Amino acid sequence: MGRCQTAQELNLDSDQSTYIIDPEGRILVTGANGFVGSRVVRALLASGFKGVRCLARSTGKAGSLEAIVRESGEESVEVIKGNLLSRETCLKATAGVSVIYHLAAGVEKSYPGCFLNSVVATRNLLEAAINEPALKRFVNISSIAVYSNNGIPRGGLLDESSAIDTRMVERFEPYTYGKMKQDEIVLEYAKKHDLPYVIVRPSVVFGPGKAKITDRIGSELLGVFLHKGLGNRIPLTYVDNCAEAIVLAGLRKGIEGQVFNITDDDLPTSREFLRSYKRQVRRFLSIPVPYGIWLLFCGLWERYSIWSGGQLPPVFNRRGCAVYWRGNTYSNRKAKDMLGWRPKISMQEGLRRFFEYMREAEGKKK
Amino acid sequence: MIKVGIVGCGKMADQHALQIQRVPGARIVGVCDAEPLMAKQMAERFHIGGTFTNVQEMLDTVKPDVVHITTPPQSHFPLGKLCLESGSHVYVEKPFTVDTPEAEELIKLADQKGLKVTAGHNAQFTHAMVRMRELVKSGYLGGKPVHMESQYCYEFTDPSYAKALLGDRDHWVRKLPGSLLQNIISHGISKIAEFLSGDRPTVIAHGFTSPFLKGIGEEGITDEVRVIIRDEDATTAYFTFSSQIGPAPHQFRVYGPKNSLIVDDDHQVVIKVGNKEYQSYLRYFIPPLGYARQYLGNLNRNFGKFLRRDFHLPNDAALKTLITAFYAAITGKAPMPLSYREILLTSRIMDDIFRQIHDQRGS
Repeated sequence: MGRCQTAQELNLDSDQSTYIIDPEGRILVTGANGFVGSRVVRALLASGFKGVRCLARSTGKAGSLEAIVRESGEESVEVIKGNLLSRETCLKATAGVSVIYHLAAGVEKSYPGCFLNSVVATRNLLEAAINEPALKRFVNISSIAVYSNNGIPRGGLLDESSAIDTRMVERFEPYTYGKMKQDEIVLEYAKKHDLPYVIVRPSVVFGPGKAKITDRIGSELLGVFLHKGLGNRIPLTYVDNCAEAIVLAGLRKGIEGQVFNITDDDLPTSREFLRSYKRQVRRFLSIPVPYGIWLLFCGLWERYSIWSGGQLPPVFNRRGCAVYWRGNTYSNRKAKDMLGWRPKISMQEGLRRFFEYMREAEGKKK
Repeated sequence: MIKVGIVGCGKMADQHALQIQRVPGARIVGVCDAEPLMAKQMAERFHIGGTFTNVQEMLDTVKPDVVHITTPPQSHFPLGKLCLESGSHVYVEKPFTVDTPEAEELIKLADQKGLKVTAGHNAQFTHAMVRMRELVKSGYLGGKPVHMESQYCYEFTDPSYAKALLGDRDHWVRKLPGSLLQNIISHGISKIAEFLSGDRPTVIAHGFTSPFLKGIGEEGITDEVRVIIRDEDATTAYFTFSSQIGPAPHQFRVYGPKNSLIVDDDHQVVIKVGNKEYQSYLRYFIPPLGYARQYLGNLNRNFGKFLRRDFHLPNDAALKTLITAFYAAITGKAPMPLSYREILLTSRIMDDIFRQIHDQRGS
């Protein structure tokens, strides 16, 4: 496990008058043992919040919630092991809470699996939340992947005002489909029940604890790494920076109904990332694949998929290709302006920590 | 046109819907799930008109010719009964029912109503199993099988199912009489049941919890089973279920009085083991060449099917074959793809296995 953020690094406001709750307020974090969820818990505890309730399906390994609870002292944290598909668990988890950080999500391969664990689970949580008189904010964690860049020129800005992709099934992405539908149900409840909400859409979250190079840079095919990102800026956010933005989205006054995309500053290009990775972690063969070639491949694959009646599923398709590899620019201006958020860990430092973690992970493989 | 309804809009329903869409003349007219959001998401993705949360309402409104039941097994019997009573044929996902009395009653009701019911034993219809059956029918074995070996294993390292099951103490699989086994082994047992005589084979089962599961505190789950079966004609079989063999094999071997067959379902390979004598050392040189030729033939067959868009993932292809055959039986164009005898025998053998394992645990 790589180095974790310290309380000193967090630097949330010392003046908490701009927050909707005080340090005694009760806060629920779902998905609290996940990669980001555990960092949100850690950030809240480090900022002095004393009523943090964690909901997780399991508490061991993964984000090591158990270790966080041990470190912080058990009086500040309450841990509930359970599943949001149980309405009883939802009622128990939301009782008396003022802020809900909803990070739990379905990360399965199938559409029904993702839908069940993202949308149905969220609906259950919302049903419990709307009857909770103390509730001041519901922070829904979505994903930057829910946007469509259809109509945005190559290199154009993709931000909070961009259109949501409603043709997610064509992208063959159950996870993102679940996230898009999850956002919809939050908006539906907000409208029907006056639910005070904020939506946070993190970009690609990276850092120690997640041993993966994002597909936006490239992926392995038959043992060869296809470098598809090339000169694109990769929308990254270091896990602790992201967690801090999420925390602020739950606390800052006057941002009800807002959507925030989270990306760090100084985004590297795919080429820069890969060059540093190879230098600092492991050398491997990568083949650059220009966007036009990859788009053609995706188009042909998509057509074959239809022609063959799904003998090969449309995992490569033009719509997904455009979203991930056509290349956009990103902005974190809104999060900075309205949340007062700054990515405290610089991109250089974040990458250094990530590469160090990956070096260890690669070493263990041997 | 065959009008199809689906009850239960989870992962299995998606697999069914994808294959039903490939069956000429079939159209899904309604989906039903107790959770309205699940029914809605399925209807949206598959462009299905009827979305229901009440099965009776679906049956009354869209009047499906056939209903696919893809809910957890505890509800198979009551839902199957409801559909049959409303005049629809029924495809029930595996395990067919929770126990044999339920299976018998469902089949009896189907007969009374002049309707048909089948079980989701699609593993019987993979490309390799279909070819094996053709060879057996052609008399390749030289008589009734003397012995069979069915290995149907599952690796707990596969996170999708293990995570759901092990992470949830209330998972419906845990509440089945045969727990994990009941949801998986029918595929492996039905392969044996197909070739057994009589209705009451002798079954000797031994089950235990693997050291892996014990190590993570899951002593209540039996994930290792070895079974010996013998029918009234002295045909015998071994069945193996293990969660610890890597890679998890899905194989079926059938030994005849003259020749034998090996089905490797993981790679869609069928190998003929012929009874041909070679002189002296030639037996060590000629047969391996013959096997190499057979493996190449399997490659050729699989790839040829792939090029003709007819391979698909074996379980999907098998599901489509079973659904197509069942619909043909419904319309009177073909016999039933699975005999009721085979469905019931599979159920009885499974009941026997669970009973013995339960007794062993008790003692």
